[in-house]
Amino acid sequence: MLAYFLLLVPLPPLGGFLLLALDPYRLERRAVMAVALAAGIAPLVLFLPVALGYFAGSIGDTIAPAFTLNFGQFEVALAMQLDALSAIAALTVTVVASCVMIYAADYMASARVADLRRFFALMNLFLAGMLSVVMAADSIVFFLGWELMGLCSFFLISYNMNSPRAFAAGRKAFVMTRIADAALLAGLLLLFLEATSVRIADLIPAGLAAPEQRAVVIAVLLLVGALGKSAQLPFQTWLPTAMAGPTPVSALLHSATMVAAGAILLIRFAPLIEAHPGVAAATAIAGVATAVFGALCAVAQTDIKRLLAYSSISQIGFMLLAVGMGAPGVAMAHFVVHALFKSLLFMSAGVLSHASGGTTEIRRLRGSAYAAPISFATYVVGAAALAGFPILSAGWWSKEAVLGAAVMAGPFGQFLWLVALGSAALTGVYAYRPVWSALRSPVEPLPAIKENWLAVGPLIFLATASVLGSFLVGPIVRTMGGTVPHAGLGVEVMGALAAIAGLIGSVVVSFSPVWSARIKRARRLRAGMQMDAIYYAFLVRPYRRVVHKLSGRNARKDTSHEAETDRTDGGMGDPVGTATVNLGLWLARVVTAPFVPDRFDLVTMRSTREVRRAGVWARRLQTGRLRTYVMAIAFGLGVLVILGWGMTWG
Amino acid sequence: MGLSLQILLPFFGGLAVLFAPRFGRDMERWGTVAVMALTLVVLLYSVVNGDSGRWLAFTRIDWAPSFGIQVLLAMDGLSAAMLAISAGLGIVCVFVSWHVTHRSAMYHAVICWTIATANGVFLSFDLLVFAFFWELMIVPAFLLIGLWGHGQRESAAMKFLVFNAVAGLGLLAAVFWMGATAPEITFDAFVLAESDYATWVQVLLLLGFALAFMVKLPVPPFHAWLPDAHTQAPTAGSILLAGLLLKTGAYGLFRFPPLLFPDGLMALAPYGMALGAFGVLYGAILACGQFDAKRLIAYTSISHMSIVLMGVCGGVHFALAGAGVEMVAHAFSSSALFLLIGALQQRTGTRDLRDLGGLQKTAPAFATSFAVFFAAALAMPGTANFLGEALVITGMFQVNWAFAAIALLSLIVSVLYATRLIGAIVFGKPKAATATFEDLKPHELWPIIALGAGTLFFGLFPQTLVGWLRPAVDAALLPLGVGAP
Amino acid sequence: MTPLNILLVLSAGLFFAGLFGVAARRTILMQLISLEIMLSGPALGFVAVGAYHGSVEGTGMFLMVLGLAAAEVALGLAIYLHMRRATGGDSDLAHRLRG
Repeated sequence: MLAYFLLLVPLPPLGGFLLLALDPYRLERRAVMAVALAAGIAPLVLFLPVALGYFAGSIGDTIAPAFTLNFGQFEVALAMQLDALSAIAALTVTVVASCVMIYAADYMASARVADLRRFFALMNLFLAGMLSVVMAADSIVFFLGWELMGLCSFFLISYNMNSPRAFAAGRKAFVMTRIADAALLAGLLLLFLEATSVRIADLIPAGLAAPEQRAVVIAVLLLVGALGKSAQLPFQTWLPTAMAGPTPVSALLHSATMVAAGAILLIRFAPLIEAHPGVAAATAIAGVATAVFGALCAVAQTDIKRLLAYSSISQIGFMLLAVGMGAPGVAMAHFVVHALFKSLLFMSAGVLSHASGGTTEIRRLRGSAYAAPISFATYVVGAAALAGFPILSAGWWSKEAVLGAAVMAGPFGQFLWLVALGSAALTGVYAYRPVWSALRSPVEPLPAIKENWLAVGPLIFLATASVLGSFLVGPIVRTMGGTVPHAGLGVEVMGALAAIAGLIGSVVVSFSPVWSARIKRARRLRAGMQMDAIYYAFLVRPYRRVVHKLSGRNARKDTSHEAETDRTDGGMGDPVGTATVNLGLWLARVVTAPFVPDRFDLVTMRSTREVRRAGVWARRLQTGRLRTYVMAIAFGLGVLVILGWGMTWG
Repeated sequence: MGLSLQILLPFFGGLAVLFAPRFGRDMERWGTVAVMALTLVVLLYSVVNGDSGRWLAFTRIDWAPSFGIQVLLAMDGLSAAMLAISAGLGIVCVFVSWHVTHRSAMYHAVICWTIATANGVFLSFDLLVFAFFWELMIVPAFLLIGLWGHGQRESAAMKFLVFNAVAGLGLLAAVFWMGATAPEITFDAFVLAESDYATWVQVLLLLGFALAFMVKLPVPPFHAWLPDAHTQAPTAGSILLAGLLLKTGAYGLFRFPPLLFPDGLMALAPYGMALGAFGVLYGAILACGQFDAKRLIAYTSISHMSIVLMGVCGGVHFALAGAGVEMVAHAFSSSALFLLIGALQQRTGTRDLRDLGGLQKTAPAFATSFAVFFAAALAMPGTANFLGEALVITGMFQVNWAFAAIALLSLIVSVLYATRLIGAIVFGKPKAATATFEDLKPHELWPIIALGAGTLFFGLFPQTLVGWLRPAVDAALLPLGVGAP
Repeated sequence: MTPLNILLVLSAGLFFAGLFGVAARRTILMQLISLEIMLSGPALGFVAVGAYHGSVEGTGMFLMVLGLAAAEVALGLAIYLHMRRATGGDSDLAHRLRG
């Protein structure tokens, strides 16, 4: 019975999407908001009792089958499941999504009704997709939700239809995540072929039992899929530009849920990663490298949304580090905490920027602390959580767990721990920068803005959760079946010191003119080490050149209007196709060329000429004169006589 | 009886439609709809009352026994699906061509005849009759493009004619040879399937058949006729071309090589898959560079049908099932895209991507429909297109990982061309041509809804389609892959 | 040379003389006169052969030829008069049947 209830959870957002996208009833603004919020919050309402029951232990692991297909010995059984991961993740997702939806109801209030409908339809579809991903019991539902999120991300990033920049950002995100999705699909299909089933519970043992080489390939493919979706190195360039989308999009998709889906993937398939030390090490290294890279780039940012984007990249790196170190439960805890404070940060940053007149530049946020005090306060709490303010913030607890897991994993882990510690310090440096900026007095005093309860309510809730979440970290790890790593007091003190160092560093960076100038000059770092440009030069431009070469230089000419000249040579591009056509034309020419001057016809025509000449000559007999005819008769008579005389001889 | 009606109804219906205008305005349109609906009803009846076992329905009528020619019609799940699509697309074509007034009766008659000849291809198992319908199929399509098309229609129609007629020669030669050299002259495909040709003979015959099918599919390097034919054809012509005629090539590849030349197919399968892999990438890359919307979709058709080629040559269950599903899915999605672009061209007068834009604002229903089929073109999970591609990729993993990798690449490149298309049409500010754009009218919207519903239904509930295609797939299996079920 | 031979030679000579005259003379009237001479040749021949054989058919043929000649002259002169109007007496000018 409960099983079927699980299947219901993603349905309200799906229904909301259909209602808003197809719009059969021509809904007005208020109705649109109502439908959107109802569809967005319903999953939380539906799932909360289930989750609480699960945590209380009264509901056990359940699988809710959808339907089953048969392909001979291969069975495709679609289902959703309730287990530790899905319960925790789904609860987090529904909570954060509800907060963001409520916030968005205020933030997007000034949009046109048509655009509002489009926005909320896509947000709801995205929510349905994310819930499919976290609650999937089989790889098909998982991948369905995964790709659906990618599609919604594309449409949501390019939500502002008038901005080519937004469209380009959405497109870049879509392409890069699609590359990762292709790798993920390959991994899932290979697992399916090994396991003859799509249930994740069957895939994991099959992946473990597969021959060594194949298993490593599968694990690597899954890792690549996670890296792409979570914007880790080397796929990280799409996330900063994805900030072109509206703030609620950044808050939901690109901080809390979609980008963390890669981590969810790795947590779900953790046994496969851990089975191969090489792959696990690669995961950890990728995570740590991204953590450092993201933190460094975040320090150099001047735009608060980009700063938060790099911060997301960095924090997810921590999650990957935990998985690589064999502690998926810890990664899960960090996922939950990160979802809470990151969405909080984005949303309060949105209010602060709104208070500063719509700019997202950190420098120009001056004075917004006084114009929007509640939002500022929640921002401070979120920043503290991000930076891992010791003991008081949930961020510290989860980050400590990650660092502890790294330390306890042997010498290699300890090396990574050091690097991660540096990244944690840097996190503090950049996290507080907007705080100090907002506290400074503005050039002109900013008018205080009305902090709508719709906007601020979720903020306060999330801020509280970011603090109280400290108590959740342990239970989460334990529910996931892991143990909270206690690496000793020394390590924890180092962690606290790193956080405090970060705080001090941020003060230095924000107020010291030397450092401020250094940051301003760090253009390369700000542009993410220009990896974007590298990708463009080595991947995008050559591809475009190939496309142009094959499509023909004259493909740029107007081909849809009637002025086109249909040439079969180059210019219309398509070398393979025109080669065939030209080959055919050449063959036709060569085969018919010997026959072109029609020799039979020539013979016929020439013979007619001879005949004509003979005729002309014969006409000379026809003089029309009597005398000629008389002579002719006489001549003939003479011939006859001689003939007769000759015959008498015989 | 029901099977021959599938061919005779549209044919005589077409003749009747020629005289329909006497009975009233628009009667030729409603007449065509009636004919197609009737065909569909007869099909449903045949399917519902069909036998279980290999063939749903089977008809044999002797025609010229001394030459071994008979009218041998057989239908299973695959052909039934194709027949349903042909009748359905016929109805869609009528609604799409509401604005055509120039020689409208002949136009609708030609549509009926296209469907009649295509149905003949889908049903015939006497090789001579099959080849007859194969060649005959070219004629109504040629008329459709050449008489009612756009600017360069005559040359496009000629190109279509020459390519397909020349390719049909291979088919004819193989068919005649097989029929004449059989111990007792016959063109019955099932009887000929029993004959034991040497492998090299099978390869040659297969090449003859395959040439005709590959030009129709179309697979590079034989594809050059398709972009021109699509750009110059009227909307209904493009829909029938993409939704129906291309599928006849796929259908032929699906049916006859495994039946008649299994050893030859085994020998040539790797080359077929390689050609398909090349076609997938080539079509996709070229699609990224087009400025003409219809041409872009034409190249994507080439890419998708190359996936079908890969699937058919794959020989394993997944690959074949994927090929069959992709045939159905592509019929839906490409017809819908051509419908939308056709509506676009009719309203704005242009297909050039540089002149279009901003339709989200001026025509939201159009934009939403476009988004749905944008997702289908991308092979988004949930659409039947993804199902087909995923199944083919799974099959490729069983045969050769390199081909699987290339098929996966198509997933990535499809994003590039799909975003190019939707970005130029739906996104951005409205331009001069699209500032006043009448949104989709009901008679255009209903086909879109039907096609979209079909795509999503088969994508989300694939067991119907896959089960339906199962007998056809089983008959076409080859022992190629590892771990084939 | 018997007398018959001489007469036959003479009649042949008359015939050919007349033939020569028709062929050689341009004037239509002279052609008609030559035609008469041509007629007289075989006429003489008939008479000679009739006398030689002692039968009267020869003389009868001669009379027929005479009558024929008379009729032909009558018609011929009538035609000559018409032709003279068209061609002025020159037979070479009557060449409408020229090929």
